[in-house]
Amino acid sequence: MDDVEIKKIFLQVFPDLEESEFNWKKKQNDYENWDSFSHLNLITLIEEKFNISISDDDVIELKSAEMILNFIERNK
Amino acid sequence: MNTIIDFFKNSVKNYPDKIAVIFEKNEISYKQLDNLVNSLSNSLIHLEKASIVSIYLENSTDFVVSYLAILNAGMIAHLIPTNLRKEKIQKQLEISQSKLIITSKHLIDKINSINYNCKKIIFIESNFHQIQQNKLMKINNEHAYLIFTSGTTAEPKGVIITQSNTIFTTKNIIDVLKYDEFDVNVLPLPLTHSFGLGCLHASLFVGSTLILIKNATNTVNILKEIQQYNATTFAAVPLTLNKILKEHDDCSSYFKNLRLIITNSTSIPVKTVEKYRDILKNGFLATYYGLTEASRSTFMIFDKLGRETSVGKPYNDVMIKIQNESLNELETGQILIKGDNVIKNYWNNLEADKRIVDYWLQTGDLGHKDSEGYLYLDGRIDYVINVAGEKIIPDDIETVVKVLTDVEDVVAIGIKNEMYGEIIKLFVKKSVNSKITKFEILSQCIKNLESHKVPREIEFMDDFPKNEFGKIQRFKLK
Repeated sequence: MDDVEIKKIFLQVFPDLEESEFNWKKKQNDYENWDSFSHLNLITLIEEKFNISISDDDVIELKSAEMILNFIERNK
Repeated sequence: MNTIIDFFKNSVKNYPDKIAVIFEKNEISYKQLDNLVNSLSNSLIHLEKASIVSIYLENSTDFVVSYLAILNAGMIAHLIPTNLRKEKIQKQLEISQSKLIITSKHLIDKINSINYNCKKIIFIESNFHQIQQNKLMKINNEHAYLIFTSGTTAEPKGVIITQSNTIFTTKNIIDVLKYDEFDVNVLPLPLTHSFGLGCLHASLFVGSTLILIKNATNTVNILKEIQQYNATTFAAVPLTLNKILKEHDDCSSYFKNLRLIITNSTSIPVKTVEKYRDILKNGFLATYYGLTEASRSTFMIFDKLGRETSVGKPYNDVMIKIQNESLNELETGQILIKGDNVIKNYWNNLEADKRIVDYWLQTGDLGHKDSEGYLYLDGRIDYVINVAGEKIIPDDIETVVKVLTDVEDVVAIGIKNEMYGEIIKLFVKKSVNSKITKFEILSQCIKNLESHKVPREIEFMDDFPKNEFGKIQRFKLK
């Protein structure tokens, strides 16, 4: 249930985000608070939860929840 | 002209119809800005002269109006970063004894949830009709604004900047970086920080146009604004500059008109300096070194090969001294700064005032000079961590993690990182039989810390290196 975990992590990193507002396709630039620091926190939590390591180049490419989900499924 | 308002009003007089600020496509001229400033400052006139008025706003035209209105009314502007946690905001309000908070509809709930009793007003843009300044307006030639920085302890230090500090620094910025009324300046930096605010001052003083951006993460938008408005200058932290290079294979077309990119003293990878030197066909990359307490103490212009790791030289009577046992400035030592850009004292903080001895500010930064006097940064004398320009006290993070019963002890340190300058690494000693996971520790940090203070790495340890008195030797963990 990777998708459930990813959604939970999003809601954790962005506490102001209502569950109903969560959208898999919504990109980094559409979020008010998704700055470089929050992005790093998101990635760090994902790495720990799924026990994967994400390279600096990939970190920059992962700009939506959907992209993160696809990345995890490819790299597990 | 003795105050920031004198310079602003001078630009209003010289360039009334010129665009002063553009924010999210909304343009406002110097005259319109002046009317809004007069209108808001007229409503602040009931406060006692030099009262603290806090601004809790994101980058916006409203921020600029509020800031200038507070100064125009003879008050002191207290600038609160919007990413600060509630407890920290409360602490700042208590220390500053703020009399009024200017905020927005969007942020008022956070302010209302803080246990601090003072008047709060929501900024509502009034019309642009000509509004005369109230003749009873107070004049404050002394203090201009108050910004809190992290101390070496958890207690924040209020840095009180005078009008004369600001005017001296702004003139230096304008002189060295050659700002003039024809400039169009793109600024995706928070105005609550000295870097962003200094750029605002420079832009208003010369009568140029400021393109204010709220979000430095959206590099597509930043590049679009640079191109659309034919920007001539662009100010950004090294993190944003690195991000642009990584996300855009060819950004030179956006920068055709740029004569200057100004960044600040967190470490800039040499590769980044070299790439921007190549990209900027008609301009140059520049950096500076400074603290909130001693803004823009050196400037470095990367217009020729060499010294890519230097932060430059002091300008206009600012003095920099390297303090070390060898009395040799070519060797690493603490950086001391003296000059009209340096504060005389902190805000009601005698302990912090001890850092200023005979007008020399002890910065806590380590550095050395080369034979021609160029300054190079070598780290910190204490264990302050610098993540993309945000200074972080390890104790802030450690206190939050130590609350977890499964954690016996914890140490936070900064480790080098190409994108961020430094990132935070946490060493954790678990309690006996503890099964705590790294994820749980991270969750605790995310819940209780500002986003830039969350560690990027965690390592579990059986014990920490200690000296004979049982004190943890942090340098060994580095």
